Amino acid sequence: MFAAIRRWAGRPTAPQEGERPQIDLWRLHALFNNFKRILTLNNAVLEEMAKMERALGGEYIFDRAFLESSVSTIANRVHHVAYSLNALTANRHVPLYDRYQEIRTLLDDILANNVHALADEAVLPLDAIGWEHEPLVGMDLVCLAELRNHPGIAPVDGFVVTAEGLRALAGNVPPSSGARADDGQRAGETRAALTDHLRNLTKRCAGAALTATLTLVGGDEQPLREIGCCRIDVDGERREALIATLRGEVPLVPANSRIVLADDRQSSGNAVQEPEAGAVVALLAHALEQIAHAAAIHATDQSGLANLCLFVCPQPEALLKGTIHTRVGSNDALAATDGLVVDAAPADGAAGDTYLLRRTHPFSLLQSRIAPRPNGHRFADQRRASDAAGDQPHLSRGSALLAPGLLQALAKTAMLLERLFGAPLDIHWQLWADGACRIVRLRPLAIAAGAESAPAAGQPPEAVVLCQGGQSGQAGVGAGPVVHVNEATDPETFPPGAVAVARTASPDLTPILHRAAALVTEFGSAAGHLATVARELRLPAVFGLPAALALLPPGTEVTVDGGEATVYAGAVAELLRYGAQPMDLTPQDREYRMLRRLLRFIQPLNLVNPEAPDFSAEGCRTFHDIIHFCHEMAVDELAHFQERRHELGALCIRPLALGLPMDIRLLDIGGGIQPQAAPNPLPEQIGSLPLAAFLRGLLAPQAWDTAAPSLGMRDILAGMPRSVGLLAAPADTLGANLAIIGAEYLNLSLRMGYHFSVIDAYLGEDSSRNFVYFRFAGGFADQERRNRRARFIARVLAAMEFKTAIKGDLVTARLKLADTAILQEALVALGALTASTRQQDTNMRSEADIEDRFADFAATFLTAFRQPHPAARAGGGDEAR
Amino acid sequence: MTTATDGAAAPLRILILDDEPIVCKRLKPAFQKMGHEVETFTDSNAALARLREARFDVVVTDLKMEGADGMQILNGAKDSAADTQVIVITGFATLETAKESYRKGAFDFIAKPFKLRDILDCVKRIEDKRRGLPTEAER
Repeated sequence: MFAAIRRWAGRPTAPQEGERPQIDLWRLHALFNNFKRILTLNNAVLEEMAKMERALGGEYIFDRAFLESSVSTIANRVHHVAYSLNALTANRHVPLYDRYQEIRTLLDDILANNVHALADEAVLPLDAIGWEHEPLVGMDLVCLAELRNHPGIAPVDGFVVTAEGLRALAGNVPPSSGARADDGQRAGETRAALTDHLRNLTKRCAGAALTATLTLVGGDEQPLREIGCCRIDVDGERREALIATLRGEVPLVPANSRIVLADDRQSSGNAVQEPEAGAVVALLAHALEQIAHAAAIHATDQSGLANLCLFVCPQPEALLKGTIHTRVGSNDALAATDGLVVDAAPADGAAGDTYLLRRTHPFSLLQSRIAPRPNGHRFADQRRASDAAGDQPHLSRGSALLAPGLLQALAKTAMLLERLFGAPLDIHWQLWADGACRIVRLRPLAIAAGAESAPAAGQPPEAVVLCQGGQSGQAGVGAGPVVHVNEATDPETFPPGAVAVARTASPDLTPILHRAAALVTEFGSAAGHLATVARELRLPAVFGLPAALALLPPGTEVTVDGGEATVYAGAVAELLRYGAQPMDLTPQDREYRMLRRLLRFIQPLNLVNPEAPDFSAEGCRTFHDIIHFCHEMAVDELAHFQERRHELGALCIRPLALGLPMDIRLLDIGGGIQPQAAPNPLPEQIGSLPLAAFLRGLLAPQAWDTAAPSLGMRDILAGMPRSVGLLAAPADTLGANLAIIGAEYLNLSLRMGYHFSVIDAYLGEDSSRNFVYFRFAGGFADQERRNRRARFIARVLAAMEFKTAIKGDLVTARLKLADTAILQEALVALGALTASTRQQDTNMRSEADIEDRFADFAATFLTAFRQPHPAARAGGGDEAR
Repeated sequence: MTTATDGAAAPLRILILDDEPIVCKRLKPAFQKMGHEVETFTDSNAALARLREARFDVVVTDLKMEGADGMQILNGAKDSAADTQVIVITGFATLETAKESYRKGAFDFIAKPFKLRDILDCVKRIEDKRRGLPTEAER
């Protein structure tokens, strides 16, 4: 490296006697070493993260030691990245160390089964609950919260008072982890939070009673256990709250406790009036505090408050209540067949119905037991039962309580919850008087001993394998009819519970995964973005299964075994019955839950826009954020080091002899320029694989063969502020196109005409580390034309399967985990795109120009990405649109 | 898919030893699905005692454990029945431990985390070897 820097720094003439050396070689050496170290460490961290994340899918056998060593390795590297960035930037990012330490502490707490770092939240609304809160609130509430992101029956609204909140409200229970000096303040904050959440809840569900359920969140070996459940009614006339115990192993409050709110107006003899919203909230808050005290007493007798939580949700007037057992249990009325059992009964306690449905799409009704209704019974739709069955059979006394549509929606939602939870469930639902149906509670379903026999040897005897191969993205079994999908498929048209089959694992398919029962793709890997989404959803998924589209025609009923990377014909009952096989890794396993919690602080990337105000060290919430931030800052530092680091001297950067009216200067960090190259290297003397590919496209004559742009006065005026800005820039940066290159690396900052683009690419031997990042902004024409050009560029990038985001005239795109050859072709196309769009904004006069330009460009430069029409591939494809 | 039930092959008797219950919990049904008989242990001394009283075709053992370590288990298994095949699994794989395992007669050495498919293939090779069939490498 040092020798290479000496070469870069070589000047045509030696410095004169007594003149200060213009280049500080040692500092320059350190600068580039730090930059390279950041790139190398970033790639290593991304690789470790991908390994951890893939372990969620069930393909790997791992243990706690793997989690500990992975966290340790990643954390050490992230710390090293932060250190290297500070070394590179003269300590301009010191707050990174604080963020690093906070995240590291959280991770160590998770590994030690210590929830204190997260337990600060006294009250958590359901929509704020994620996997990281599982030890605080239990997996039932995590799954209930996750249900909000899926189509189907919605979960009940509500919030959780955590153990920390209960402790603060109860006041007299010693905390399990050292006394707090500010207990009084903590209690006040908790009461304020409780009041806020109650106010919001009562606003959304005015007049409804509340249900409060106290649960002991199981440790590693203990299941969830309900301690007790109360109903709280506010009596408006008496200005009092009535707490009634509904169920539970211990009564949380004395039978029918009453809480009366002191009210001056009552004593002054005012007529009875509707209670103010504030008074209702105060009554409810008092009631919850009573329950918190009861919980504290219970906890003192038992294991402490550490594992208790109180879930509070509205309980409006219900017409129907019922349960769903996702597997038939020995106590179910319809126990003869495998399936899913739905019970429904009128809220008044009258006899109810029982239905047995298939566990797979379309969740057909297999059997039902309908209770006769008394004459005059009012159904949920307000019609009344009668003996007159003749012309209105739906009104007869033997009519079912649930319509087929609602039954199927309940079944779909139940199966989704079972998949998320990883075990059969007992789910409680209610149909409210306002017509809303809600899931209110779920618990693991106790299956009778012996019902869970060992899986049968080998594949099911009657199963026919339709196709096999590729990589397992997520283990598990899903069945349904095949629906072919692609990036253009409207997710709303995808039937929930069907099996999605796609050619490529495009990130655009993400919304479809929320509706599918399983996913199969012909191309793509288990390390890609879509596989990550499948694992997040625990959706059985197979990637890279050859000829899947042809072998799985639309409409075919199939069963996908994600773990075995096999697709069978029809719904294979045996496989579906043992869908959650004991060998699978499920949320029931401690290691799974721990890994998922760890990943919440390692993997998500929240800082994506370098222009956003929170793109800062303080804004980093995960290790991924930290390394991404460091990478962006390191590139920025190198791109500007001539202005910022004067002590480094005037570096002699070598200009590239392009033979074009543009100036690209080269900064070689190792192997980017061939050793025998001229002082002004020619394009063919470039040793950098990504830059060589880019130049092939940039220098293609067809890319420059466009009509001269026609500039109107409007264009000139629109470009004025930009051109003035550019002219005001220091002379040495005006038009400076800087390429930092290595044998496998390219970071190119380009100003062409009046637009600015950045290409960052790495093409090494290991394709899992490779990426191409492209960013484009600016232009000379009016805003609409610039936006059109941005849409044209985004169109080209999408055709190359870049993950693309467009905001006004700013386009950002990323392609990774693709073959080196594909990435090289993408860089060739980006070179051509750079040339052909140099002032194309001025030509973008109408929307039609976008498609015309795209067709021309694709015919010349996107042939490597051209895909046969789906209909031609699948013999008349029936893709959902 | 070929399973132990194909042909005339008798099911293998497999002992799994790992102090992390999750490994035993996941491997046991996977081998059972192949048609084999499986016993699991998380305590190495108990596993060693069991090896002295019963003969196993395959032993899958972790390397680093409290009490008897994987090398002692490997020795114990070979002492009890020389044709017992031992698969060593470890999260602390080094070239030295791998060499030592092979020198003491281990059939294979697998670093954790590993793919379920890898260890199933490994047992399949043992099965083929016992039936006198050419292994994948020999074909």
